[in-house]
Amino acid sequence: MNRRFSITRLFSYGFSALAVGTVMAMFVLLFIQSLRVWQYEGLGFLTGTRWFYRQQQFGAAPMILGTLITAFTALLLAAPVGIGAAIFVSEFLHPRLRLTVKIVIELLAGVPSVIYGLLGVLYLRNWIYELLTPFDPLSGDTLLTGAVLLAVMILPTVMTLSDDALRSVPAIQRHAARGLGLNSTEVALHIALPQSARGLLAALLLALGRAMGEAIAVFLVVGRQDNQWPNRLLSFQPLIQSGQTLTTKLASSETNIAYGDPLHWAAICGLAWVLMVMVAGITLVSIFFSQRHVP
Amino acid sequence: MSRKLLHHGFRALTALCALLACSILCWLISAIVRRGWPAISWQFFTEQIRLVGASGGIFYNLIGTGILLLTALVTSLPISISLALLHGVYLKEGRWKRSLETLLYVINGMPSIVCGIFGLIVFVHFFGWGKSWLSGGLLLGIIMLPTVTVALMERISSLPISYIEAAAGLGLRQSQIIWSIILPQSLSGLITGSLLGLARAAGEIAPIMFTATIFAGATIPHGIKESPVLSLPYHIFILAQDSFDPSVGAKVWGTALVMIALVFVLSLIALPARLKLREEAHHD
Repeated sequence: MNRRFSITRLFSYGFSALAVGTVMAMFVLLFIQSLRVWQYEGLGFLTGTRWFYRQQQFGAAPMILGTLITAFTALLLAAPVGIGAAIFVSEFLHPRLRLTVKIVIELLAGVPSVIYGLLGVLYLRNWIYELLTPFDPLSGDTLLTGAVLLAVMILPTVMTLSDDALRSVPAIQRHAARGLGLNSTEVALHIALPQSARGLLAALLLALGRAMGEAIAVFLVVGRQDNQWPNRLLSFQPLIQSGQTLTTKLASSETNIAYGDPLHWAAICGLAWVLMVMVAGITLVSIFFSQRHVP
Repeated sequence: MSRKLLHHGFRALTALCALLACSILCWLISAIVRRGWPAISWQFFTEQIRLVGASGGIFYNLIGTGILLLTALVTSLPISISLALLHGVYLKEGRWKRSLETLLYVINGMPSIVCGIFGLIVFVHFFGWGKSWLSGGLLLGIIMLPTVTVALMERISSLPISYIEAAAGLGLRQSQIIWSIILPQSLSGLITGSLLGLARAAGEIAPIMFTATIFAGATIPHGIKESPVLSLPYHIFILAQDSFDPSVGAKVWGTALVMIALVFVLSLIALPARLKLREEAHHD
């Protein structure tokens, strides 16, 4: 094949440059738009615990904490179930049934977030309220509600990617282990899991990133209470109170109000930029751990 | 005998995990169908919204979602094909190819609300479009881009090398090979990828809530500037926030049923073929 000029080649590079440029533009534009708040608050934008836009106070710490709490709790709930299910599908399930289970999981992954939000509003909120009755909660709108909903939403991600990681362990190693007299549980625990540890870690990180970036379902059940900074950081207290995450703040009507006030708008763009950097960072670490090359 | 006990115990435990995942889907579908079915009628599809969602149907929401998805598809197709060609044909193994894959990962993981804020800055304010179907379609195009591209990339990289060698042996130029061999042969990947991408984009609200869609009062857009559309997911989103009125409740569940049916139909056309291809790839 000779490599002389062609229209196809030109268009391919052109459109690809457009895609690359758009991502770059997002990163740069959001930062430029948020410059004013970095000048105004400095690093206090990240560490400040008070957000009162009428008093020109912009501290994002409670929202960052909310994002971290919900996402990590969701991962804590989804990881054992997701990896367990992946082990069952890849190690124990008959190959004929495997396709059926995988279709079910992919369908679950395709359920729109607003549907999860709706089910969260109508069912999960009440269940969590009853569950938390001994702690005397104000409502069922808590960070925990958001976390449980997120756990269900990232479960398919954890499961599909873990399954892929487990399946990428060479069959010859399984056969060798079986030949030594190990049963399939021992093969799973001593061969498949250690061999795919990096892939499993990558799967969990990708799921974590997804949980952090999810907006709509969490928005509907998290209560959206600003300035919730716990007295003691390491306690269950923030989890059973309503709170605010980065995404729910961005999705709120405050985004529409903010454009009139340059500083307020910069603060909103700052939140978006921080969220983007957090999620992109996790994605990059996840790629580092995964040997596979396709999402 | 403790080995055997452990084996059965462990297998049962993992089976329970898989069962839990499957039963969540079953419960979800049954809950939506049970509560949404009473709202479904012919009028539900052909009437427009009335009484703030308590009455009427979702005609213009369907139209709006259709317009957004069509725009997204038209946006993402040329870019996806270009990226996949760059990955499969033009770039050699190495740093640039890996960077392209990384880029797709990053776009795939991009929080959709960040796309929404980006669209709000660029389309709504810089371009001065206001709320417009076009900005929503473009943003949803970004959302579905990685899904489409990766599906096409996988298909292109699984093409037998002998096809391309044979075409090159006949003296075809590179662009001729692309148009007459590579793209036609990987069309199935493009189609399944597009369907899955559309299924994903159909349910997104975060990118379009500030840029393209409103709750009531829009019909068919006549231009680009200040021409928002209604949409299915945003309808559910707004109604879910005051779902205590029983007549609103029936409508919101009906809309949810239509929404989930749309997404599942798109996925079910694409998934079996795609998953089968992957299963076969694992057997090698």
